[in-house]
Amino acid sequence: MEYKDYYKILGVDRSALDDEIKRAYRRLARKYHPDVSTEADADDRFKEANEAYEVLKDPEKRAAYDRIDPNQAQAQNSDAGFQPPPGWDRGFDFQGGGYTEGGDPSSFSDFFESLFGRNYAGGGGRRPQGFASPRGQDHIARVELDLEDAFTGGKRRVTLSAPEVNEHGQAVERARSLNVTIPKSVRAGQQLRLAGQAKSGANGGAPGDLYLEIGFKPHPHYRLDGADLILDLPVAPWEAALGATVKTPTPNGPVDLRIPPNSKDGKRLRLRGRGMPGRKPGDLYAVLRISLPPADNETARAVYERMAQEMPFNPRAHLGV
Amino acid sequence: MSRSSEETLVCQIIDEHATLTLGELCRSCGVPAEWVARLVEEGVLEPTPESPSTRWEFSVHYLPRVHRAARLEHDLGLNMSGIALTLELMDEIRSLRRRLDAIDR
Repeated sequence: MEYKDYYKILGVDRSALDDEIKRAYRRLARKYHPDVSTEADADDRFKEANEAYEVLKDPEKRAAYDRIDPNQAQAQNSDAGFQPPPGWDRGFDFQGGGYTEGGDPSSFSDFFESLFGRNYAGGGGRRPQGFASPRGQDHIARVELDLEDAFTGGKRRVTLSAPEVNEHGQAVERARSLNVTIPKSVRAGQQLRLAGQAKSGANGGAPGDLYLEIGFKPHPHYRLDGADLILDLPVAPWEAALGATVKTPTPNGPVDLRIPPNSKDGKRLRLRGRGMPGRKPGDLYAVLRISLPPADNETARAVYERMAQEMPFNPRAHLGV
Repeated sequence: MSRSSEETLVCQIIDEHATLTLGELCRSCGVPAEWVARLVEEGVLEPTPESPSTRWEFSVHYLPRVHRAARLEHDLGLNMSGIALTLELMDEIRSLRRRLDAIDR
């Protein structure tokens, strides 16, 4: 077990007053809130701050925590690991203190647990004062699929972290892996329901449902715009100028695309129904990107020189120069 | 609760027109009905136009939003207008990010 320096986590002095501690906590909570933050380790930092605040805002817990000599504890950290000194909590009574607004107690560390125990009587759920419900709450998890999954459907392994109650009646944060059959034609922003897969209700109530909110990972070729897909399609200058039929990829396999003569860079060509699948399939838009062959050999240079001589063309005419 | 980890779960796509009653929404998010009523007052969510004012129903699309609102209140101590503002800004950031992502490539 590792000693945790709660003052350091909140970035306050050991002598900090209550409102300084509150301010520091609020600042960190906003910064690392998993709904708001984009930092990679936001989730862990948020839990850590909650745990620290849970202790430091409570005068009793704080006083008990302060009895542990941080220097000695840090030294133990690097040796065998931290053990609270015998009798460190004499004169304190944490029973029934419960968990207040701090956060999800199931995510607190072993260190916290060894000091203050886990009292679920008062505050297992997120909203103990909420209305008594026979069924458990639903859980919503965001899942990022590959774009191709919507075309093929099929089994996917989904990992969620969710609080669970173990055989000793303690809540633990457990990564759960589920094999889920993703239906074909699933769309971004849609929700999938897994009946009865959230945690159980209080007093043996039926478990809630697990909802998967679907998103798609960025794809190397296609961009998603609602049900439509957008693809940058490189073409040679002569294909754009003279017209051509070229192969273009689609998520369902390559198709032939006719490029009309005199197509400009950025022209959008629509492939109807080749976007995201569904009852009303989206379209695929190929955006033409004219790609110049390099003038890196004698023949290529000769061709460019002939064009320069024989084709009067000022691409800057509209700029007045 | 023992569950084989290799079992494959079948999920239903939720019909985009599906609705939840006020009671179902409250149960799902673990919040009291009065609290949802305050979200409605603040304009964070709207009952479907067809539902009578005595029996509210909500589009299932609001579900993640209400869960998020509950977390914001619980974790950050935001009040109703703070929650409403935060959710709006988060929507805006998300759509800006999407556009940025489209330009970057």
